[in-house]
Amino acid sequence: MSKHLKILEFVLSSLLRRKFKNLGIVAVFSFVVFILASILFLTHAFKAESLAILEGAPELIVHKIAGGRHDLTALRYGDEIAGIPGVGRVLPRYWGYYYDVSTGANYTIMGATGSPRSTLQLVRGAFIEAGQRGVCVLGQGVAEARLTGLNGIVPIMGANGELYRFQVVGVFTDPSTLLTNDLMLIAPEDIREIFDIRPDMATDIVVQVFNPSEVANVAKKIKYRFPELRPITRTEILRTYETLFSWRSGLVILTFVGALVAFGILAWDKATGLSAEEKKEIGILKAIGWETSDILALKFWEGAVLSLVSFLTGLIAAYLHVFFFGASVFAPALKGWSVIFPEFRLRPTIDPYQIFVLIFLTVLPYIAATIVPSWKTAITDPDIVMRG
Amino acid sequence: MLHLEQVTKIFNKGKPNEVVAVRDVSLEIPRGSLSVLKGPSGSGKTSLLGLMGCMSRPTAGRIVVGERDVAKLPERFLTEVRRKTFGFIFQHFHLIAGISVLENVMLPLYPTQMPLGEIRRRAEGVVDDLGLSARKHFAVQGLSGGEQQRVAIGRALINDCEVVLADEPTAHLDTTLSEELIGILRRLHGEGKTVVIATHDPLVYDRAFVQQVIEMRDGRIVPA
Repeated sequence: MSKHLKILEFVLSSLLRRKFKNLGIVAVFSFVVFILASILFLTHAFKAESLAILEGAPELIVHKIAGGRHDLTALRYGDEIAGIPGVGRVLPRYWGYYYDVSTGANYTIMGATGSPRSTLQLVRGAFIEAGQRGVCVLGQGVAEARLTGLNGIVPIMGANGELYRFQVVGVFTDPSTLLTNDLMLIAPEDIREIFDIRPDMATDIVVQVFNPSEVANVAKKIKYRFPELRPITRTEILRTYETLFSWRSGLVILTFVGALVAFGILAWDKATGLSAEEKKEIGILKAIGWETSDILALKFWEGAVLSLVSFLTGLIAAYLHVFFFGASVFAPALKGWSVIFPEFRLRPTIDPYQIFVLIFLTVLPYIAATIVPSWKTAITDPDIVMRG
Repeated sequence: MLHLEQVTKIFNKGKPNEVVAVRDVSLEIPRGSLSVLKGPSGSGKTSLLGLMGCMSRPTAGRIVVGERDVAKLPERFLTEVRRKTFGFIFQHFHLIAGISVLENVMLPLYPTQMPLGEIRRRAEGVVDDLGLSARKHFAVQGLSGGEQQRVAIGRALINDCEVVLADEPTAHLDTTLSEELIGILRRLHGEGKTVVIATHDPLVYDRAFVQQVIEMRDGRIVPA
């Protein structure tokens, strides 16, 4: 141990000797880690948010398709679906996107009394009670965009051109900002009026299935019996999110392939040979009594110090970039045009597996690239190495 | 102390650029002696010095250091013999640029079990003896040739070696500095160390204190 500490001390002064070269390596290395880590953090955070959205979401929803587009669903379908064996409760849902001209933001307005999901909680205020009209519960993003809060007023333009005023009775908090950020809850009667939904129609229908493993079968039966309906299972949505973010992250990584290639060249350059100066130094150290294992320890620590410093720098920069600065570099590519406005801040979540993958992709190859050529030189007689 | 028997060293054996650097050399370096290997450039002095100091292995022949035949020792043991027995002073100093005088002198002891504080104390003692105290924190590349040579001597002495091997130690020094260096080597000899100097400088080999002069030409020892 004491031997390694001494070698480490020599490594540190050794690294300072070539500070410009080493700073260059740290800069390139950190940049590569920053890119990869940012993309992984962001993708993971989006996936985590997606999972949070789906936690407590209905196992199966059904809506009508008219000419390939989403159309309002007649309530009579609910009565017929309820007759399928294995189906429990069937409930209509009322929701729709609302474009707010004053803020330029899209909100999701949903008609519900009480909490639409067990996972949702309010920062302050209360949920809407049955029969209560003219009130709303807001997501934090909507509240911020409208510069309002509890007891404030949110005006909404109805389909008939009339302006409806809703008093804020509650503001959401949630483990998932993504879930409630753009959400505005109002009474089902109010939403039907605003969106001009007939009393025998709903936006879609939530189907409860007693046995979760039967969800896919029930979906098949609905599709078979009502070809004009589209059943969507929670698993399908989850798979879509996973695929979407993985595909997007792959695309972003591709755009930075140049940086990755530069890093590859750097590692390859190190792996394929040492400079004459480095070779001579190894020869000197061997000549004055350093063993091959000592040289390898020296090179290991040199590679480890450089790569770990770079790795931590890149990792911390990526963490700050993603979770404190909204991933301004990559978010547009990863979120896509359709995802959530107003802006929201991702919850910091890191998967240890990702850190392991990053280390495996960057630190280990670099250390190996440092050790291998040194080993080739270190096993040669010092007399021959020093002669060049 | 050192016994060489029919030693041959061939570089790049079997390749178009094959060079026979040392041919069938046998010699004896007694313990505590001061010997000189003399001869023109390319005569094989440096190669022979490297073989004596376990810096390379002979292509043929035996080399005995103390009681141990080192010609076929595994690399690890050869390094141990090199570290514990020999101190090298190279023609081109071969110091590590960018680190201080003290760190260069400390280098041979880094991979040992000796605590860092003890290594530092010992190195400071050596640096003081060589008159380099005022420069001990200077980076070596900023020193004069004479000072660099003294740092190289300090590095050779830090492990309290039995044998000092010096390769053309006066090649880059003027007469005054050469005399100073010769004085240091004589002092080491006086302290009981075995000293072997490879040189073609008459200032070194034409001296009364030299006990053995071995002349080399074309990789062979010229009979006296």
